[in-house]
Amino acid sequence: MDSAASLGAAVKLRRLPLWLVPLYAAAAQAEPHYLIVAGLGGEPRYEERFAQQAQSLAEAARRTTGNAEQVEVLSGEDATQESVRAAFGRLAETLDSNDTLIVFLIGHGTFDGDDYKLNLKGRDLTGAELGELLESVPASAQLVMNATSASGAVLESWTTDGRTVITATRSGNERNATRFAEHFAAALSSGEADLDKNGLVSAQEAFDYASRKVADSYEAEGMLATEHPQIAGEGAQRFTVARLTARPTQTPELERLSARMAEIEGELEALRQRRSQMDPDAYLNELQALLLQLATVQQDIDRAQAALDESTED
Amino acid sequence: MKAFLPLLLVVLAPAAFGLTIEYGERPEPLAECDRLAYRGERSAASTCYQRLRAGDDLAIRAEAARALGDFRGANEAFREAVRQAPDDASLRARWGYLFLETHQANEAVQLFNEALERDPKHIGAKLGLASVAAGRFEDRAHGWLEEVLSADEDNLPALLLLARMDLEEGALDRAAARLDRAERIAEEQGHPPLEVYALKAALDLLNGNANSEWVGRALAYNPTYGEVYETVAHFYVITRRYREAIDLLQKAVELKPDLYSAHAELGVNLLRENRVVEAQRHLATAYQGDPYSPQIVNTLRLIDSFENFVVSTHEPAEGQPYDPGVILRLHESEAEVLEPYVLALARKSIETFTERYDFTLKEPVVVELYPEHDDFAVRTSGLPGIGLLGVTFGHLVAMDSPSGRAEGDFHWGTTLWHEMAHVFTLEATAHLVPRWFSEGVSVYEEWSTGPLPGRHLPIVFFEAMRDDQLLPIAELDRGFIRPTYQAQVVVSYMQAGLVCEYIAMRWGQEGLKSMLAQFAEGVETGDAVERALGIPAEQFDEEFAAHLETELGAVVDNLESWQQAQREAHQQADAANWPAALEAANRAIELFPDFVDEGSAYLIKAKAHEEAGDVEQAAATLADYRRRGGHDPTGLRALAKWRYEAGDVDEAVAVLEDVLLVAPLGEDVHAELGDRLLEVGRPEQALAEYQTYAALDPHDQANVHYRLARAYQALDDQARAREHLLYALEIAPHYREAQQMLLEIVR
Repeated sequence: MDSAASLGAAVKLRRLPLWLVPLYAAAAQAEPHYLIVAGLGGEPRYEERFAQQAQSLAEAARRTTGNAEQVEVLSGEDATQESVRAAFGRLAETLDSNDTLIVFLIGHGTFDGDDYKLNLKGRDLTGAELGELLESVPASAQLVMNATSASGAVLESWTTDGRTVITATRSGNERNATRFAEHFAAALSSGEADLDKNGLVSAQEAFDYASRKVADSYEAEGMLATEHPQIAGEGAQRFTVARLTARPTQTPELERLSARMAEIEGELEALRQRRSQMDPDAYLNELQALLLQLATVQQDIDRAQAALDESTED
Repeated sequence: MKAFLPLLLVVLAPAAFGLTIEYGERPEPLAECDRLAYRGERSAASTCYQRLRAGDDLAIRAEAARALGDFRGANEAFREAVRQAPDDASLRARWGYLFLETHQANEAVQLFNEALERDPKHIGAKLGLASVAAGRFEDRAHGWLEEVLSADEDNLPALLLLARMDLEEGALDRAAARLDRAERIAEEQGHPPLEVYALKAALDLLNGNANSEWVGRALAYNPTYGEVYETVAHFYVITRRYREAIDLLQKAVELKPDLYSAHAELGVNLLRENRVVEAQRHLATAYQGDPYSPQIVNTLRLIDSFENFVVSTHEPAEGQPYDPGVILRLHESEAEVLEPYVLALARKSIETFTERYDFTLKEPVVVELYPEHDDFAVRTSGLPGIGLLGVTFGHLVAMDSPSGRAEGDFHWGTTLWHEMAHVFTLEATAHLVPRWFSEGVSVYEEWSTGPLPGRHLPIVFFEAMRDDQLLPIAELDRGFIRPTYQAQVVVSYMQAGLVCEYIAMRWGQEGLKSMLAQFAEGVETGDAVERALGIPAEQFDEEFAAHLETELGAVVDNLESWQQAQREAHQQADAANWPAALEAANRAIELFPDFVDEGSAYLIKAKAHEEAGDVEQAAATLADYRRRGGHDPTGLRALAKWRYEAGDVDEAVAVLEDVLLVAPLGEDVHAELGDRLLEVGRPEQALAEYQTYAALDPHDQANVHYRLARAYQALDDQARAREHLLYALEIAPHYREAQQMLLEIVR
C-alpha cells in the first residue's frame, strides 16, 4: 500500500450514508418516544447484564430527546406482559401519525418453530402479540430493535411501511444468548459509531457498528458466530438513536447558519452524485472548496453557540 | 484435517500397494502365490491370486482379493466369512488388517478387539493392535508386543516391529541385536528376509552408512522390492532429512512405479522442500492408486488451497551478507497486515542466529502462516511429537497464523523465533542434529533472545521434576518420539531448553556451538557431550540435576502451596473480593514469581490494585509481569494506557509493540500505536501502523483517512495529507478535527 491514490480508490462507498442527514435539519425533527423492555434474565449474570443494557439505552434516549418523560423503561420484575401492554396502550393514546416510536427489546427470546416469544415475568408475549401492539400505535415512523435470542423469527412479520426492524439474529433458530444489545448500547455513546461525525448516531450507524463488533468478538475468540444481526425496512438513517453532542440552541443567527450548512450539505451530496463522471483531481478540488465552506460555517456556528452558552452562564 | 474420506470401501483400487509379507500360517494355495510375490514375480503372482479370488473358500478369496488390491472384493468376502463363522477370531483379525491397509485404524482396532474377545490370546490381533499403536508413535505398542513375545519368543513380526521402534527411538544396538535374531529366525522358518534386510539397511543409515549392502541383498532376493528404499526413507523423514528421503523415495517409485505409498511420501516430502508442482504430481499418482488415504487427500487439498495464498519473495537485504532472502506464503485475507511484521522478525532472527551460531544460510527461508490450523496440521502429518504451533522442514517454516486462534491465544512472534532457530540447527548439521538438541536450542533462544523474555515453564514440567521423570541427556530424544506419559513431549521440550540454557551458562555460547559441530559430524549425543563439553554424559546428568535443584527446587517444593494460592486468587477475583484476591495473588507470586502464562497471578494483582484505585501499583505489577514475559494482550494494553497517561510515551510504544507479537490483528492497537509513534516523532513507523490499520478495514473509515493524513503531514507529504483529509471529510463532513486540519492546511 504505497500510494494515497490506491487508498483513495479503496474508500468504502458502502460505508457512506445513503444520504447525508443535515445536522440541523435532524435537530428540528420531532423527538421520538421510546419504550425499552428488558425481559427476564433467568440467572443473576443475565439479570444484571440486561438491566445494565436497558439503563445504557435509556440514558442515551433521554440524552437524545432531552425529555425524560418520552422514555419509558420496563426492566426485570417490572417487565410483564400486562405492563408492556399498558405501556403500548399509553403510547397508542398519546402519539399520532406525525410521531416517531422507538422500541428496544432486550433479554431472552425463544422460537419453537412456529412462534417467537419474548421471555417476561409471568406470561410471555408472542411475536404476533407484540406485532399487534406495534400496530396499535399510530406513529407512522417506527424503529424496533429486538436484541433477544431467536429475534430473527419476527424480522419479516414486523417489517411494514414506515417501520424499520433490527434483530440480533438471522432467524428463530439462532437461540443462544446474544451479544448484540451490549454493542448496540455501546454504539450510542461511541464516536466510532458516528461514521459521518455529525454528533448523532443513526439507527443505521448503530446497527453497522454493533454488527461489526459482534462479528469481531466471535472472531477474536476463535468461535463460530451464533448470531447474525439483520435490518429490514427502509430508512434506518432517519432515526437518530443517540446524540453525542449537546443539543443546539435555536437563535435567528444560528438558524441562518444552519440553513447555510444544509445548503452546503446539499451541494456536497450533489457533487458526490457526479463523482463517477468527473476527473478525480477536479472532483477533489470541488470537494475541498465545499468542505472549506462547511468548515467555516461550522466554526461560525461553534463560536455563536459558545457565545450563547457563555451569556447563559453569566 | 479438512475432510476425511468416507469410511466405506467403495472403490476398486486398480493395482498393488506395498508388498505385504505374511509371517503367520497360510493355506498352501495362498502361500504358493505369496512366494511368487516375495520373489518379485508379480505377473505370475497376480495370475495365481486371481485364480484363488474366483474360488469358493471365502477366507482365501478375501486374502487373494486383498493381495490384488481389490479391497471392495476383499471386504465383501471377509464380511460374508465372518457372518458364516462369527466366532472365528482369526477371520476378524485378518479383516482388521484389511482396514489397517486402507487407513481406517479405528475400524481395524475394533476388529482386533472383537478377535481378542473371542480369543484373548490371539497373536494376530495383538500384533495388529501393536501396529496401530506403533504407527501413532504410542508407547503401548510395547505392551502388546511383550505379550506376543512372552507367548512366542520367536515371533518374527513382533521382533521386526520392536526393531523398527528401536530404530525410531535411536536405540541402535538393541535394534541390531533384534535384527540379527530376526534374520536367523526368518531363515529357520523359511520366511522371506526382505523386511529384515530393509531394516538392516535403515540401521546402517542411522549408523552413518548410507550405502548399505542390505539394499543390494534385498533387491537380489526381489528385484522390484522398492519398499527397501521406502523403509530407509522413513528413517530419513523422522530424523528430518527430507532431501535424502526424497532421493530414496524417487528410487523406490522408479523401481516400482505403482508403489503408491512411496508416491504419497514423496509428494509430502517434496512439499516440505517447497517443490509444490512435483509434490502435486506424485500425490495425484498416489491418489489414483490409494484413494483411501486421508493424508493424500488432505495434502492435495492443501496444495489446491495455495491459490488463496500470496507468495512474496524478499531478496537478500542490501549490505547484509548473512541474509539469504525470505519468501512468505501468507493467506490473501491477511497478507497485507502480517507481511511487514513477519518479514521483520524473520530477518531479525536470521541476523541473530547467524551471529550466535557462526553459520550462514545458503538458501532463502520460506515462511508459511496458516489461518486454518487443520491446513498446518496436514503439514505435520506422520511426524512424531511435533509442536502444535509450528514446524520446520529445513529452510521451510510452517506455522499457525494468529488469526487461526483466539486473540492472545499464542505468541506468534515466539513461535516464529523458535522455528527460525530450527532452520539454523538443522541446516548447520545437514539435518543430523538430534531432535532434543534442535528443540533445546529453539526453546533456549526463545527465552534468551526471542521477542518474549523469560523462561516459560509449564506446571507439568515441575510435576515431572517432582516425580523424577526427566530423562538422561543421551535418551532425551525418546521423550519426543515415543512418550510414555501424556505430558512427556512438553516436558522434554522444556528439559531440552533447560539443558541448552545450562550449557550456555556453564560453557558459554561456545559450548552450544561445539555441540552443534559434533552433531554435524554425525556424533551421538553421549559422545558429543564428552567431546564438546569435556565431561561424560552421566556426569553431565548429575551436574545438570544439581543445577536444576538449585534453580527450580524451591518451586517444586512449594508446588502445592502455589497451586492453592493460585486457586484462591482466582476464586476471590471471581467473587470480586479484591483485598483477598490481592493477598492470595501476592502469595502465589512470591512462591513462583516466573509464572506469567495463562492464569498468572500478576493479572489478578494488577486488577486488585486497579479496583482499589491504585493505578500506579497496578501498572508496576503489569510492568513486572511484562518483564518476565507476560503477554496477555488485555493486560499489556492496560499497561500501555497507564504508561501513556503517566507521560511515558516511549514505554507505551514499547508495550504496544509487544502486543502486536501476540495479537497483531486488533485494529485498535495499530491505531493507538500509530498515534503514540506520531507523538514521539516517529512518523514513518506511525504511517506503517496506520496503513496496517487501514488494511484491517476498520469500521470508522473517516478516522482511518484522518490518521493517514496526519502521518503524511508529519512526513511533509502535503499532497497525500490533503488527499486523505478530503477522503475523511467526504465520509464525515462534520468531522471537527479534520475540518480544523483542512483550515490549517489551506491557510
